[in-house]
Amino acid sequence: MDDYIIITNNPMVVEEFGTEKEIEFYDVDYENILVKVRDKIYKGHELLSHPLSGSVKPGETPYKSIMVSKRVGSLEEKYVKLIESSIQTVGKFSFKPTINDQKTLKDLQVVDRTLLNSAIASADA
Amino acid sequence: MKLEMGHIFIKDIVFSDTSKIEDGVLYVSKAELEKIVLSDEKLKEVSFDVAKPGESVRITPVKDVIEPRVKVEGEGGIFPGVIAKVGTVGSGKTYALKGMAVVTAGKIVGFQEGIIDMTGPGAEYTPFSKLNNLVMVCEPIEDIKPHQYEKAVRLAGFRVATYLGELSKSLTPDETKVYETQTIMEGKEKYPDLPRVAYVQMLQSQGLLHDTYVYGVDAKQTLSTIMNPTEVMDGAIVSGNCVSACDKNTTYHHLNNPVIHDMLEEHGKTLNFVCQILTNENVYLADKERSSDWTAKMCEMLDLDGVIVSQEGFGNPDTDLIMNCKKIEAKGVKTVIITDEYAGRDGKSQSLADADAAADAVVTGGNANQVIILPKLDKVIGTLDYVTKIAGASDETLREDGSLEVELQVITGATNETGFNKLSAR
Repeated sequence: MDDYIIITNNPMVVEEFGTEKEIEFYDVDYENILVKVRDKIYKGHELLSHPLSGSVKPGETPYKSIMVSKRVGSLEEKYVKLIESSIQTVGKFSFKPTINDQKTLKDLQVVDRTLLNSAIASADA
Repeated sequence: MKLEMGHIFIKDIVFSDTSKIEDGVLYVSKAELEKIVLSDEKLKEVSFDVAKPGESVRITPVKDVIEPRVKVEGEGGIFPGVIAKVGTVGSGKTYALKGMAVVTAGKIVGFQEGIIDMTGPGAEYTPFSKLNNLVMVCEPIEDIKPHQYEKAVRLAGFRVATYLGELSKSLTPDETKVYETQTIMEGKEKYPDLPRVAYVQMLQSQGLLHDTYVYGVDAKQTLSTIMNPTEVMDGAIVSGNCVSACDKNTTYHHLNNPVIHDMLEEHGKTLNFVCQILTNENVYLADKERSSDWTAKMCEMLDLDGVIVSQEGFGNPDTDLIMNCKKIEAKGVKTVIITDEYAGRDGKSQSLADADAAADAVVTGGNANQVIILPKLDKVIGTLDYVTKIAGASDETLREDGSLEVELQVITGATNETGFNKLSAR
């Protein structure tokens, strides 16, 4: 089994990796996925992929998948700094459109999954 | 390495039965171009249009902008490893069609491409409003995946640009510029008293739809490396990404990188331009550490005094930018970083997602959150269907009078981080 956990709100990630990867799915918004990751980091998990990956800006995509280590060690300041500043950045994107268009939602899921794939490729290499 | 760049000025583009360049006019045969584009079975249809400076035209969603070039003398061909065979470029003689571009448009991932306005307030923010643009909108076959569509459109754009570049091969350029650089030791001997400076270029490499290619290799899978600065002028780096429009480097930006041009201008006068260093912007944090370690190590091994670092994109790459800056400075090498800002609509928020005290020399390309109203224009090339979905737009974007209320993010090249724009701050 891999030594990482995927924290996500993207249903497409669950569909694709549900059985072969350890996934924690939360039905929450982008910002709250980052909060879930922050909780993990404070417990001593390492942050493995960048919380702001992708250039679809926070507030413009509802989906986010982030990778943390399964291993729990001591709290690392650099990860705390990165996740806290990422949460702050998300807060800056004040306008949060409601996207109801299924085609666009699917596109956004694909992009998030693609970014995650890129991290998985590095992690599994 | 010495490269002679011949510029052929194109003052107009006209559709015609045969393709040729005559008296500064580019005549293009749609039928010939169509054959070139549709040679890829993933594309079923293409339409061509011309957008000229000052016309009431909006091009959207823009994917890439490409300047046609042709290799006249010397090793290799334009877009090595992509269109031409792999072979080191950057020496000999190359011609470029100036004053025009090939613009690829199409709803690849719909929501993430940009706008080029040829007139009005929006035109002031994009350098491409000043060019005669040959726009190609490609339609894919059914059930194609977004990344396959992106690749098909990307390559079709390069094929068309290469074809147009070839038309100039036997012409006499209107203007010639010569760029010459030395090897490491030659440079040291020739300019013993000048500061040794390199250009660190960070390339977007976050995964499919977010990639950049160097000699045909996906930059995501590369270790930081060095190049001669003239190599990019022959298309050694091409864009393959659909990231937000304002701060992505199109292929046109890579071919005409202003950091490289300005540094070559100063080479031998105020500085010794040692080389270009390429590094990536991956999503996996260990990759970021490794790439920035290598970049800093190379700066040290090259005995540099200073570097200019340019970023591509926002958020995730802010971390690479700061890692590069911190680690290079720690080696005793001075840095100047070029970025853009997402400082909120009022400009009062923290500009970058990361920061460090070592980043004390920063050039900005402007605030991408700045709001702008784009008036309704007479003609749209592409489609407005997705205009509310592109980064920097919202459901309220399309106003009753047909104008668009958007953030600068939507405009192709508006806050470019190689400085290929007009915005900055003092």
